[in-house]
Amino acid sequence: MLRTIVKKEIQNNLYSFRFLVSFAMLLVIVSVTVFILTSDYLKKIDEYSQRQTEIENYMKNYAHFNRVQNVLGATQPPIPFYSLVRGLSSDVNLGEFDDDPLPVMFPLIDLAFIVTILMSLIALIFSYDSVCGEKEDGTLKLMLSNGFSRSKIIAGKIAGGVLTLFIPFLVSLAVGLLMIALHPSVAWKGADWGGLGLIMAGAVLYVGFFYCLGVFISSRHQASSASIMTSLFAWVLLILVVPNLSPYIASFISPTPSRIKIDRETSRMMDTERDDLGRKLSGERLQELIKKYPVLAENFSEAEAKEKLAKDPAFREAYEARTKEVQAAWDEANRIQGEKVDRIWKEVNRKESAQTRLASSLSMVSPLSDFTYLATDLSSTGIQNELHFGRLSEAWQRAFWDYARNRIAALQKKDPAKDWWNTPVDMSDRPRFRFTEEGLGGRVKSALPDFAVLIAFGFLVFICAYFSFIRYDVR
Amino acid sequence: MTWTIAQKEIVSNLVSYKFFVVLLLTIVLVLTSFFIMHRDFKNRLSDYQVIRPKPGDPIALLPPNPLSIMAKGLDEALARSYEISPIGITVRAGQKSGNIIFSLFPAPDFLYVVRVVLSLVALLFGFDQVSQEKEKGTLKLMLSNGLSRSKILLGKWIGNFLSLSVPFLLVTLLGVAFLSLDPDIHFSSEQTLRFFLILFLTLVYITFFLSLGILISTLTKRAASSIVILLFIWALLVFVIPNLGTLLARQIVNVPSVRALSEKRQQVWTREVLFSQGEGSKLADHLRTIGDENDRLDENYRGKFNRLVNLSKNINRLSPAASFVYAVTDIAGTGISEENSLKREVVRYKDSIIQDMISTVVSNSKIKEYPAFGYNYRSLSSVFAQGALFDSAWLIFFNILFFALSYFAFVKYDVR
Repeated sequence: MLRTIVKKEIQNNLYSFRFLVSFAMLLVIVSVTVFILTSDYLKKIDEYSQRQTEIENYMKNYAHFNRVQNVLGATQPPIPFYSLVRGLSSDVNLGEFDDDPLPVMFPLIDLAFIVTILMSLIALIFSYDSVCGEKEDGTLKLMLSNGFSRSKIIAGKIAGGVLTLFIPFLVSLAVGLLMIALHPSVAWKGADWGGLGLIMAGAVLYVGFFYCLGVFISSRHQASSASIMTSLFAWVLLILVVPNLSPYIASFISPTPSRIKIDRETSRMMDTERDDLGRKLSGERLQELIKKYPVLAENFSEAEAKEKLAKDPAFREAYEARTKEVQAAWDEANRIQGEKVDRIWKEVNRKESAQTRLASSLSMVSPLSDFTYLATDLSSTGIQNELHFGRLSEAWQRAFWDYARNRIAALQKKDPAKDWWNTPVDMSDRPRFRFTEEGLGGRVKSALPDFAVLIAFGFLVFICAYFSFIRYDVR
Repeated sequence: MTWTIAQKEIVSNLVSYKFFVVLLLTIVLVLTSFFIMHRDFKNRLSDYQVIRPKPGDPIALLPPNPLSIMAKGLDEALARSYEISPIGITVRAGQKSGNIIFSLFPAPDFLYVVRVVLSLVALLFGFDQVSQEKEKGTLKLMLSNGLSRSKILLGKWIGNFLSLSVPFLLVTLLGVAFLSLDPDIHFSSEQTLRFFLILFLTLVYITFFLSLGILISTLTKRAASSIVILLFIWALLVFVIPNLGTLLARQIVNVPSVRALSEKRQQVWTREVLFSQGEGSKLADHLRTIGDENDRLDENYRGKFNRLVNLSKNINRLSPAASFVYAVTDIAGTGISEENSLKREVVRYKDSIIQDMISTVVSNSKIKEYPAFGYNYRSLSSVFAQGALFDSAWLIFFNILFFALSYFAFVKYDVR
């Protein structure tokens, strides 16, 4: 019996005008989007390797420890999933003079956008008249008079509707995926396909939610012309309003300090304030050292010092002690100021993450946000990936600074007179930043709450649709 | 006679469920948007008070623009702090960069509400104008009473335009009245003019969607088909074309990424500072080299980026939603061209003081006080000359075209 209703729903939809239009639209939009995103991804790959070559060339000729951290920042390479989902990858970069504000005006279109905006709209277009439309046509009465149970009708309607909705989407996506699979330069791994499968599962839940919502609204109305109004009203609130308001509301409830102010303060602390402290500390330490090595009180030019170092072992000992003390003083100044700056930034970051968490919780009232978080986390383009990248980059920085300290100590042993911080050094054996995407397990774990919320929303709206239909007046 | 039809339309709208839903949506969204964006503006204003440069600081910093409450656009980028040092311009971004959720969803300003929601609402007013009257049989009745088709169409258009725009304008004015209660928000007479221009363009924009709704309604036999087609066209015009157009333009114009450029700048800077520590080298020469190289990189990027902006604008203009965004942000002073103009001024400011800064650093003399940075937003005439006039005319053209098309379609419409 249920199968008959599902079959009838599918056939009904397949021959409908809206099916034809949505099929044509999705086919064009999905294939064009995948095509453009793939070519954009390939361009990004090219640029990334060019950037790496430039950094290598620089390092060969000018690598010196004092400013190397400005050149060797950890950067994330483009990942193959960029052909489908972009998430937070757009390059706005307000921190640079030459920023790229275009994504602020019009955000990118990707698979997440197609599912969240277009598929939800299509789901409502398919379902807004599923109950009241049949009532208007008189077919609902007929079905019920033939002894069909109401619960079977509603279950059959939802199952049939969601199944037909996915036909145009899956066919269009298959065309897009074919482009990706056949492209020699885009190499998707097993984890990517696994991630995509899970995103599709999320899309089923998301679209299912909107279909059930449409059925629910349809069974609360007697006329389909009123049902479409309420459906669109609900759609606008859930899709276009709640997610956009949430970060603003969160910023009012849980404010954060001005980044510009903190940035200025900490720059001053690591610049003039650090230099003053460094000079003061090294002066104090040298005063102490001069008592032990009076020779250090005299002034030498670099050439004289070099000559004396080669000839006079006592002077060499004193000079090495001096270099050590100066280094220790500056290390201490860096440590003291660094800790102060760290404390300030930690507090700012704590406040910012509290605000982000609040904004993300508020936005989860909308299934659009749930699906966006789920899709971006599963494709390594979301908030979870930012955290993962941050962890990798921190670990690499620590490794690099361990390497730098060891190298400088070794070099100073060789030639204590030389300023090794500002001398080009071969750093080809340095630890390099390697980005690896987080394993699928970790990504799934971070997407679980979003799945749970989507399932809960879907279940809730299904129950509402069910009970409204049970009590629906078919006359 | 036209007025009678318009009155009939208004009365039938007033008692409809559609009108109730639309009114509720408009009131809630417009007022929420004003409230939220006003709070956001106040937060940014108090931030500005904290970080504003002291006299003599070589810093270019604009206060937030009150019109950004309506059209935020790039105000966040415009109100960044541009700090000049002997090696060039350092930019510090506002606090929004700390919360990633901001970059996931667009700002819910008045512009967004109009562009996305009001356009949908206008379609809902237009979608069943002809097809539903045909389904009900009232169209036949009207025509059999000797009414001319052009009068019917015009009456419908006027009636629906008034039912849509009067509540919307009232709610908007209520929002503006709420803003005017705040003593921190001053609209100069020019800004008030800009506000009314934005309001005018808003009306032009929503009437485009009303005309489009009526056109599709005259091309379809059933209101149900009309709404399906319209929702798809709406999604295409409001979301798909502008978002895809920018990406498409990027495939045609090769612009280096911000990251690539920033890496190049760092390489130049660190290399020259290293060289400056060599024996016999002059710091001033190296600082000048850094400045020159940065200027060259910037000029190269600006040229390419402007080409990208122009191309993406031209592609996106296929959609009136994009033209509307460009025109409104330009008039509000929060558009891409305004950011470009500000950057030119910042570079000019840097050029005027950098030599002085370099000699101060080289001679180790006391830090000087520099003249303050001044910036005047582009005047309305230059805003219009540089694109807003085209976008406004383009919107009006779309309007006339779709109204004319709906007229011809309606004249040939089979009412049986």
